[in-house]
Amino acid sequence: MEYTEIFNDFLSDFIDPKKRIFVGYLGLSLIIAYVWLVAVRRSALKTAHAQIFNHKVFFSKSARIDYKLFFINRAFSLLVSPLLITQIAIATFIFYALHRQNIVHSGQFSDANKTFVVALFSLSMFIADDFTKYFLHRWMHRWPVLWAFHKVHHSAETMTPITVYRVHPAEGILYGLRSAVAQGIVISTFIFAFGNIVDLYTIVGVNILVFFFHMAGSNLRHSHISIGYWKFLEHIFISPAQHQLHHSVANEHHDKNFGAALAIWDWLFGSLHLSEAEKDITYGLGLTESGPKTIGDMYIKPFLDIYGILTLNIKKVRKLLFLSSNEKPFSNRFGPKL
Amino acid sequence: MLKNILKYSTIMGALVLPISLVHAGGHSTGYGPFPVTLQGYSGDKDNSVSYSGQVARHVLHDSLKVLAGRGDGGANSATLKAEMLSYFSGSDKNKAILAPVTKGAFVIKQGTLNEISSGKNIEGKFYNGAMMAWPGSMKGREVALHMIDRASIANKGVDAENGYNWPQLISKFTMGAMAYSQAVDNYLDEKLEANTKPNNKPYKDGKPYTGKEHVWDEGFGYFGAAAHTLSLTADQAYGIAKRKDMASADVNGDGVVDLKSEMVFGPAYYAAAFDRSGTKSTSYLQTIMQAYFDGRQLITSAKGAVLTNAQRSSLKAHASTIESKWEQVLAEAVFKYAGSAYKDINKMQEDDADVAKEYKGYVKHWGELKGFSMALQSGRNNLGETAGTMNDLILFGPVTLDNSYVTDVTSSGDFKREKRMTWNDYQLQLLKVQQLMVDKFSVASRVNDQLADLGALAEMLGDQSNAETD
Repeated sequence: MEYTEIFNDFLSDFIDPKKRIFVGYLGLSLIIAYVWLVAVRRSALKTAHAQIFNHKVFFSKSARIDYKLFFINRAFSLLVSPLLITQIAIATFIFYALHRQNIVHSGQFSDANKTFVVALFSLSMFIADDFTKYFLHRWMHRWPVLWAFHKVHHSAETMTPITVYRVHPAEGILYGLRSAVAQGIVISTFIFAFGNIVDLYTIVGVNILVFFFHMAGSNLRHSHISIGYWKFLEHIFISPAQHQLHHSVANEHHDKNFGAALAIWDWLFGSLHLSEAEKDITYGLGLTESGPKTIGDMYIKPFLDIYGILTLNIKKVRKLLFLSSNEKPFSNRFGPKL
Repeated sequence: MLKNILKYSTIMGALVLPISLVHAGGHSTGYGPFPVTLQGYSGDKDNSVSYSGQVARHVLHDSLKVLAGRGDGGANSATLKAEMLSYFSGSDKNKAILAPVTKGAFVIKQGTLNEISSGKNIEGKFYNGAMMAWPGSMKGREVALHMIDRASIANKGVDAENGYNWPQLISKFTMGAMAYSQAVDNYLDEKLEANTKPNNKPYKDGKPYTGKEHVWDEGFGYFGAAAHTLSLTADQAYGIAKRKDMASADVNGDGVVDLKSEMVFGPAYYAAAFDRSGTKSTSYLQTIMQAYFDGRQLITSAKGAVLTNAQRSSLKAHASTIESKWEQVLAEAVFKYAGSAYKDINKMQEDDADVAKEYKGYVKHWGELKGFSMALQSGRNNLGETAGTMNDLILFGPVTLDNSYVTDVTSSGDFKREKRMTWNDYQLQLLKVQQLMVDKFSVASRVNDQLADLGALAEMLGDQSNAETD
């Protein structure tokens, strides 16, 4: 591979409308930020400009780590992605499995209205993707082993759109697998039920709903521009401010707003927190959590943490066994020694 | 002035025309004529190419297929069977060509078999190894004779109860058990060895061709391609086989299609059919034809001398190309008709389906699937486990309307259907047949790919390996 090809590959996400940091979405996020600050927050254009391009944010130590991770993780991804199970493999497996039941037969609804089927598929794909993101994200927070990896992302103390790439490669793999499973399930069930009329409504090659999510300023989720929605809307869609709150060090914000695009899941499962316009938020892990500080830390520390968790648990188990045998000493079980 | 221009243009025309003709002749890509290279030949022939026996066998096969569909349910069975056997096993009588025959402007030169070649049959050149794909543990020829017997008592060639379409089964099986088998397991195999039919002797005394020239020509004849195939597109070759494209067929412009050199028969037709459909990424017809052509040129270039080991090994390399591509064509056919049968099952289950009509289509497609799967097992290669898996998946007969399928055959040749399978389960097996063809034969044209839609949607949704996280 030529160096230019490698370079292009590294930067390809900026020109791929399937990715959040596609230049078009970044540009639109920028416009939304200006409109928000000038028209809603009544800032002067100059002030808004200074606030958006705050060099303390974009050149902070945290942001500089993000930029480095962007490149290193891309290299990891190039190496690892060919090894991961693909959505086609999962879809084929499920498609085969669907032939083993006799309730619905292959192509049973193939005479359904195509517009309806395509709309339903586009919506189902979006919902399945968002729903699995919610749950995986929730688990990343709730399970100590997964949290060890996810802490890398939450160790960001300033946020820029590139922070979306501040993740441990292990988390990247989990998200990739999640996506393969979600796509595999939806694709196979739709093709089985509706046959070859299944299609996706797209704009610039992207699921129309994903496109609108990005167009609505998805990049502002990882930024210091705090845009909140009306309360009712924050029950349906996660606003940038709600996601920023998810990154807050404050105790009352912990384990809230796991959702990606939809807030419905947080609302349903009790983790929703509406945005708070007047509150200043400090991003990061806070004082109680020890997070990674250097690039090396970002990759190694999660494993050390996991080792710590496992040893602690093993100790606990041992202690438990030891205690239980103390409670019932051998001699007692058979009565007093004669 | 004008007169001068006219004069010069006439002179130029008179000069250019023969030059262009010579030019065209010098770069002929037709399979023949090739010069006589046999040393010491004293006859008057100037063309050493001959494969009319193979053309006759293609015609016997096409005609047999027509006869297999002429049963009236029993009343004419004795005469029909005798008629079919006269084409399959041969007879002294000159027989009419039942197919291919003239169709509209597509006028065929020959009307009887003896106008092509006399005394030929199919049976003598039919694969006779074990054929495990058919119930009753029979050998290849026994299976063919069993099929002929059943076709003679069927109604218009169809045994709806057991799910057999005899014209399709007989035809597709024969395309492999005769044409493919003879080419790859005989002429392009042991007959290329040094001590068999050497190139410094006539194939038979008095013939104008050498041993190796004729061996190669016979191998080519079984492929069933028109001699001018290298100048044809897959669409044109397809059009000739379908008797629609007279302009492409009649290369010598005599107003008739000579079956001996201008027609496209079964094996070449299927090669063309897959090149022009599916993913359109294959070039089976041209690759196979080029290998035949290059092989023949190599033999001609030896000028009647014994082929050196190097020449024979290059000839074998061409033979190997022919064999592997031809095998792939048969696998593509298995792939395609497994997909057709899968789709037919869906159609039969639709609420407003005309089940009888759809079932007829299903039985026809299944016949093609089964016939081609048997063809694939008639070559030089012992497919071993692949054949076993394929036969287990396709079954001895299709799942019929009451979900039963043929499991065995009695000593009197009747079928027994002692097991049942759901449509869904059988569809899964057909999907696995398609996967098997991909895994074992790397089929690329993939007509009727039942998993293609999964792949297309996955492609559309994109690679998520570096999925964003929040």
